[in-house]
Amino acid sequence: MKRLSAALAVAAVALAAGCGSGGGDGGGDAASGEPVKLRFLSLAWQKESIEANKQIVADWNTANPKIQVEYVQGSWDNVNDQLVTSFEAGDPPDVIHDDSPALSSFASRGFLLDLTGKIPAELNGDIPQAAWDTVTFSDGKSGQGVYGVPFLQESQVLIANKKLLDGAGVRVPTPDSPWTWDEFADAAGKLTKKGAYGVAWPMKSPVNKVLNLALNFGGTFFDTQGGKTTVKVGPQEREVLQRIHDQLYTDRSADPSALGMGTADPLPGFFAGKYAIVPAGVYLRQQVAEQAPSGFEWVTLPPLKGQTSQQGAVSQTLSVAADSKHPDEALKFIAYFLNGPNQAKLAKGDWLLPTSTTAAKDPALTTKENGWDVATASAKDLVVAPFLKVNGFDEWKSKVATPAMQEYFADKISLDELAKRLVEDGNKVLERYSR
Amino acid sequence: MLLLPALVPVLVFSVGPLVYGILLAFTDARSGRNAETSFVGLENFAELLSDGDFWESFRIGMIWGLSVTVLQFLASLGLALLLNQDLRLRGVARVLAVVPWAMPPVVVGLMWRLVYHPDAGLLNGLFGSDVDWLHDFSLALPAVIVVGVWTGMPQTTVVLLAGLQSVPRELYEAVSVDGAGAWRRFWNVTLPQLRPVVVAITSLDFVWNINQFSLVYVLTQGGPGGRTRLPMLFAYEEGFRYGFFGYAATLGVAITIVVLAVLGLYLWRQAREGD
Repeated sequence: MKRLSAALAVAAVALAAGCGSGGGDGGGDAASGEPVKLRFLSLAWQKESIEANKQIVADWNTANPKIQVEYVQGSWDNVNDQLVTSFEAGDPPDVIHDDSPALSSFASRGFLLDLTGKIPAELNGDIPQAAWDTVTFSDGKSGQGVYGVPFLQESQVLIANKKLLDGAGVRVPTPDSPWTWDEFADAAGKLTKKGAYGVAWPMKSPVNKVLNLALNFGGTFFDTQGGKTTVKVGPQEREVLQRIHDQLYTDRSADPSALGMGTADPLPGFFAGKYAIVPAGVYLRQQVAEQAPSGFEWVTLPPLKGQTSQQGAVSQTLSVAADSKHPDEALKFIAYFLNGPNQAKLAKGDWLLPTSTTAAKDPALTTKENGWDVATASAKDLVVAPFLKVNGFDEWKSKVATPAMQEYFADKISLDELAKRLVEDGNKVLERYSR
Repeated sequence: MLLLPALVPVLVFSVGPLVYGILLAFTDARSGRNAETSFVGLENFAELLSDGDFWESFRIGMIWGLSVTVLQFLASLGLALLLNQDLRLRGVARVLAVVPWAMPPVVVGLMWRLVYHPDAGLLNGLFGSDVDWLHDFSLALPAVIVVGVWTGMPQTTVVLLAGLQSVPRELYEAVSVDGAGAWRRFWNVTLPQLRPVVVAITSLDFVWNINQFSLVYVLTQGGPGGRTRLPMLFAYEEGFRYGFFGYAATLGVAITIVVLAVLGLYLWRQAREGD
């Protein structure tokens, strides 16, 4: 047979793991006078963000001839597959850029260094505890550890067409007095006219969006008791699902044909006035600002309020590989890379929210322009998303939750059926991880 | 002794990993720095039998493998017959027909992703339609199959063309004397003469297609909602995404066994009919 079977591929990697224990390229000891070499895997992808990343690395290299950092470009599309292979082969990058949902499983497999007690006090104090919670995970045995430094966070806001809002006479919400979900439904209804919808829900990847918003009504989706995690879909979890479904099929204020879209795909329709509101992560403002036709007026509306405005937070993170030869130097680099001024640069580059409290005060991040004030203010309602701590969440998401939610939003299955699948099929998946 | 230099690489790079992979299938190996591996016998295979997701993916793999192979064969046969005619610029046409062969699957995948792109794609531009081909639940698999057929056509065409050229001219002359038309010539001479080539190339194509990975990985990554998740992608996800190496190896072994069984049945029947 000409093609390698999966068995072969797996075997090849395992073999590589067996003989790759001597990994780590060059480097040399600090004691011998040779500079320490660190590899930094970065996932920056927006142009401004890559520039900011490379600039900070270059500054560091000039200031620290003894610790030289090599910038390695990665991609969000396949970073976790890439990391699994390099971890198994014993030759991972020293400093790893990733996001908190991925860290949990790497941490429990022992691939990441526990940073507890090793983080410089200044950095530690600059980042609030809520953000540290997003990187605190079980170590796979009995303890807990901190497996990364959180630096950029995303909240879900609404991006709206100002002229249509004014035309329909709806109240423009502010961070102090945000829309409730009821007001939102009401406004979306008023904004729906012939050939135009109040809102477009791009639901190609619905799971994280729904789970983060579900916290508005206290919906956690997971329940951990005695070390065993199960899926739960009760009245609290159903609120947001039902409300979005109602907009689609009862109020008809949301366009069903937007459902298959990724987050940025509704923008052409948004600019053309086909949708008045697009729910999106704060980073989408960059593409709106860049691509909007001249004279197009848009506003960023603060996150919606259910019982609370709380949203599940996921952070981008920098971690140190457990197999790194130079963990102390790696941490020094991270502490520099994520100090207040640098985080402000990174946040601006990616149009996301910094975790650093000093960075959040940067005038560029609190200006009215491009909705920065609203976006930055929304950071206060971010709490750790419960699913972050669930071992096996990734498999639950891709095998069970994504297809089931897509079918629910396409009105092919009922809410009860959705709940049943999320719980029953979901618990089967989670069981594999508790063995 | 003289065989040794040729044998060593085969043993080290082919037999070694294969045996290791098969052994792995009987363990609970998992990804992890401190993961302990133990022998679990046939447990993985038992789990496989009751794994609905795997069978769903296997069903998709069969639909994919069979339809791509059959369509590929029909299209290539047509193309080969055409290229076997005495046409002007035949040489150029033959070269053009082989061009897709020179492209790595990843490049083919990227190229077709642009063709299928919902906003900027060639296809929607051509038909003025507004379809998201690769993310539509019912269209994704057919769309991917079309790409599979396109990619595999060159080698099938070349092999069939070579087969056509080795059909003795005298046979055609003989049936022409009997007054046979084009269709009868094809049915009574070309096809029987071509039979061994057809059997060989379709079986090779089937094995090749059912084990396809890179093309579909680039096009859809198995989505939407698992509608194009071929068995190989499923095994890859189990191994490298979720970290169940032992189970992934089991999947690899199981897929190999099934492919061999299907192939054996097919070859056996062909051999019997050929007698």
